[in-house]
Amino acid sequence: MIYNILFLILAAGVPYYLILEKFPAIKSKHIFLLSALALLSSIVLSLYVPNEHKTSLVIISLLNAVYTIYRATKTTNFYKLAYYFIFVNAPFFVLYEGESSLYSISLLLSLSGLYLIGRFYEKNYGSANYRYITGITLVRPYIGTYLTFYLIAVALYPPFPNSLFFLHYILGSESNPLWFAVVITLFFGNFFLSMGVMKKTLFGRPNSNIHYVHMTIKEKIPHILIVGMLLLFSLYGLKEILL
Amino acid sequence: MSIIEKLNAVKSTVPHYWPIGSFIHHNPLKGFENMHFKDGLSKAQSIFGGKVYMDSSYYKDLYEEGKINDSIFEKNIKKVLSDKGFNIPLEFAKKFLMEVSPQWSSLRVELISKVEKTDDELYAYLQSHSLYSDEKAWLAELIKHMTLYEINDALFGLDDKDGIEKSIIEFISRFLDEDQTTMHMPNRDLGMFEVFKLFEDVDYTKNAESFVEEAFKELQVQDIESYFLTHLLKLHGWAGFIKYRSEDPDNVSQQEYPSQLIDYMAIRLYYELKAVKNNKISTFKIFTAYAEANLSDVILQLLKHKNMLFGIALDELEDNEETTKVLADHVKNELHLDALQIQHSNEVLQSKLPLTELSTILDKLREEEGYIWLKSLEDTYISKYVDEVINVVPVKEKAIASATFCLDVRSEVIRRSIERLGAYETFGAGGFLGLPIAFVEFDKAHELFLAPAIVKPQNVVFELPVEAHEEYSLKKGMHKTTKKVLSDLKNNPYTPYIMVEAIGWIFGITLFGKTFSPIKTNKFFSKMKPSKPKTSYTLDKLSEDEIEFYVKKLHTKIIHTVLDEHNKKNCSDVDVENIRKHLLFNDSLHKDLSDTVIHELQTSYQITPEDYEYQKKKLAMVGFTLEEKVSYLHKYLTMIGQVENFPEFVTIIGHGSISDNNPFESALDCGACGGNISLPNTRALCMIANTPDVRDKIKEKGIDIPKNTKFIPGLHITSTDEINFFDTEILNDEQSKKFSKIQDDFNKASQLSSEERSQTLPFTNTKKEMLIKSMDWSETRPEWGLARNMGVFAGPRSYTKHLELNNRFFMHSYDYKVDNENADILKAIFDGPLIVGEWINLEHYFSTVDNHVYGAGSKVYHNIVSKVGVFSGNYSDLKIGLPIQSVYLEGKAYHEPVRLISFIEAPLEMVGKAVENSIAKEFILNEWIRPVIIDREAKKVYSYENGEFIVIKEI
Repeated sequence: MIYNILFLILAAGVPYYLILEKFPAIKSKHIFLLSALALLSSIVLSLYVPNEHKTSLVIISLLNAVYTIYRATKTTNFYKLAYYFIFVNAPFFVLYEGESSLYSISLLLSLSGLYLIGRFYEKNYGSANYRYITGITLVRPYIGTYLTFYLIAVALYPPFPNSLFFLHYILGSESNPLWFAVVITLFFGNFFLSMGVMKKTLFGRPNSNIHYVHMTIKEKIPHILIVGMLLLFSLYGLKEILL
Repeated sequence: MSIIEKLNAVKSTVPHYWPIGSFIHHNPLKGFENMHFKDGLSKAQSIFGGKVYMDSSYYKDLYEEGKINDSIFEKNIKKVLSDKGFNIPLEFAKKFLMEVSPQWSSLRVELISKVEKTDDELYAYLQSHSLYSDEKAWLAELIKHMTLYEINDALFGLDDKDGIEKSIIEFISRFLDEDQTTMHMPNRDLGMFEVFKLFEDVDYTKNAESFVEEAFKELQVQDIESYFLTHLLKLHGWAGFIKYRSEDPDNVSQQEYPSQLIDYMAIRLYYELKAVKNNKISTFKIFTAYAEANLSDVILQLLKHKNMLFGIALDELEDNEETTKVLADHVKNELHLDALQIQHSNEVLQSKLPLTELSTILDKLREEEGYIWLKSLEDTYISKYVDEVINVVPVKEKAIASATFCLDVRSEVIRRSIERLGAYETFGAGGFLGLPIAFVEFDKAHELFLAPAIVKPQNVVFELPVEAHEEYSLKKGMHKTTKKVLSDLKNNPYTPYIMVEAIGWIFGITLFGKTFSPIKTNKFFSKMKPSKPKTSYTLDKLSEDEIEFYVKKLHTKIIHTVLDEHNKKNCSDVDVENIRKHLLFNDSLHKDLSDTVIHELQTSYQITPEDYEYQKKKLAMVGFTLEEKVSYLHKYLTMIGQVENFPEFVTIIGHGSISDNNPFESALDCGACGGNISLPNTRALCMIANTPDVRDKIKEKGIDIPKNTKFIPGLHITSTDEINFFDTEILNDEQSKKFSKIQDDFNKASQLSSEERSQTLPFTNTKKEMLIKSMDWSETRPEWGLARNMGVFAGPRSYTKHLELNNRFFMHSYDYKVDNENADILKAIFDGPLIVGEWINLEHYFSTVDNHVYGAGSKVYHNIVSKVGVFSGNYSDLKIGLPIQSVYLEGKAYHEPVRLISFIEAPLEMVGKAVENSIAKEFILNEWIRPVIIDREAKKVYSYENGEFIVIKEI
């Protein structure tokens, strides 16, 4: 039980909404870093502590995920969006724990990419808000490509690893009503949120009121590494599914 | 002022849009030509938004490449400083334009992350002089050109605009459809608004004008003209097309399915009323009251909607901060950055001026910089080319053949190549050769207007076969049948299910063939295509009896067909003639015929007295009288200055372009022929010129064409550089031998031209690759077309023969010594070719400076709509202008946007007379082109600037 509660605290968003977001000093980028670290700790912990999930905790995290989806539709800030995606996917982690570690890692990788784009925006435009930085694919195709990679991966589109691991777990597990609820919520939640972001920032007409900034080589390297790792994970995911 | 008058007062803002099938290049800011170029651009920018000049970094690059001369640049800066009364040194202004302005936007980005203190005095100055200090004025600026449904969307996060525009596009694209769909909208003959009422089931008995008037009252619109403009700007491509259609009396679709801009306005306002009815703000009066009560929030929401609210403010709004605080923070942040931009600029400029004064000067300089750079670029080109042509001494030599090409910029390289291969003389003229014709091609039913869009041809020319064409008819029949079967299979609701499996693979042949082996596939399909038999043109006028005979023949055939359809096969020719006379002259009917048949003949087949007169009038337009023939030929020869020393072969070569899967193909054809291939004009003129009667008559006018001189028409395919000649059977054996040598030279010239052009086309190095481009269905850039056009030379070719002009100049031959004292020939050049040149030039200019606003965007997303144009994706505004691939290469402007630099070789006095009498006077005097007069008699070169001709060079 104690481990279940710990997982819930680490992976789901309840404490963040109840405590962290109330402190103005704690910025959204800190919340992402904290929640990402917590999720990583949970993954590590779950590998060493065998545990069975409690249905009640899955339900709590599922309700929290639904609430998070609602919250995520209201934000246009990459930092917030990044940690909202963690909370949206929390029920999956609570449900599968150690077995979902690969999915969770690939999710964290994709979200780290989003976070880095947020950092880039904050540095150059004053905030990680992407609402007014429209048509990025047309004017800054590199940034557009990275964002497309991350968002498509989070949206559970094959052949990105998130979708492959997700598919692998759901094919290998037994279904029940709770299982259905989690799978459907995650599937549609991730998809619609990612597509919403893509529509708002990747496509459309570039905003003539701003000066679009290029990424430097130094700024591109982490993204190239993340995309490379995602592709490697994809190969592994394909192997898992096919073999 | 009535509602219609108010609409008319603003509709000129929207440019005409011609259907894409006969693409007409045009100036998208035609409605602003009554203003000086600079003022017109400034006004247009305030209406359309977007850019009207290139970024300063673009010009700076040109400066660094040496394309903008330093002393000219400095001279233009000085002029602005003195005109505007700026008491600042030249070096200061130059440094600003060169070093500060190109970095202006990026500097602001850099400053975002810096924490620096601003100068208090400067900050206070900026605050008091900014729009932010007067929130009401700020609000008025923000809602300028916004409809009420857009305001609702902005304030309450709604998405009505998308739905409304989609509904409007869906209706108008179906109403304006020109046979793209197989399922037509019914009742279109009732007119646009009447059909709309049926379409939306609107219970309204009055007309569109009344509806608009009532809608304005309901919405409580204060400034009706301005609100008309607001609505016109929402989908200005479609509005431009409706405007074009309604103002063209010859437009067949308009005659059948009438539409007016007021109908379009009524439709727009119907959807607006429907949408805002249930919204919180349903009238402008309510909006005014709401805005007064919630000013900060309204401004913030409008800024957010227009993407003018930046990250931190958006975050604050998301965190539900107080709106007055968010707005205050936003203003503070913007002013802080404005102040820092000026302070940092001053670090580079090292000015001793007070920062507040510097701020004003920098603002003014930024307003002027686009024009300064543009003019400096143009002046540099003017200076360069003036130097290169003024000292040329023409050398006369007897030519073995002459070749007239269209003045189109793409003729320059091929003309130069031909001239270098032997004693060839080349000329340039508007592709329609001053011979405007309505041409009915063999086996086609509709006429093409082969003349500039502003000229309506008064002579109809039919193309008729002069040899047996059974094979053609057979293949054509097979083609038609196959097409019909495939079309029926495709459009039937059930057959596509089985058709894909059964015959889908057949389409795979084309798919793979065109992709992997385009040349072979093209050859294969060419063999299957029916080849047109040898043809001739109807160039002689029909007699009255002949006209009567043809009208009678047409009517008789129709009556027979209708009677057959109604199973009345026992009618004799006498009966048919009686029916015809009954329909046309109200003669008594001898035969018992139902009213249905009579009605059908009158309504469906238009056998009426009015149509009879119309048919006779149309047939009277067929061909030319001898006087007309002589007049057109004389006009053509004097226009290009070819009035003596005729060589044995006078070739006149039209042009066209070949490409695949390219809705903009017509844009690559001859602009002077209304976006069509100009071969018919060249063939018609050559046939006229070869007529003995015409030669005799023209001799009386002083032009003696030797008997052995033959006029041979040709066609230049600009995408492949091939030249083919037609009607060569008029040559005797000896002449054929001589002419074949000329053909060889022209083929060599094609090769040379092709090699030269391939250097500028991406991924193309050989003639074969250029050929493939013309067949490649995925090619977005089959040729560069008219991109990089920059000027026109109107004068004898001998002065420009030595120059490599790289397909950048329209070249019109003109010899002022042949012109009369009123400069009628020059005026004719201004009235036709110059107007077409200006339209082409400015269409390229604006499509380059802002492709989003004035261009067509990327070809990749285009879909053909209603067979009148293209839109992006599955619905959007009708795309005006040129696609980005036509003017850009790999993200950089390929076209160099400058106004048409018009070099005219003539005495100043003659040019003055021609301008005065020309319909192009307005745009010439308002400097939408850059006239440069080379007056060799006065030994001076003039440029027209600021309302006067100034001497720029002594010869």
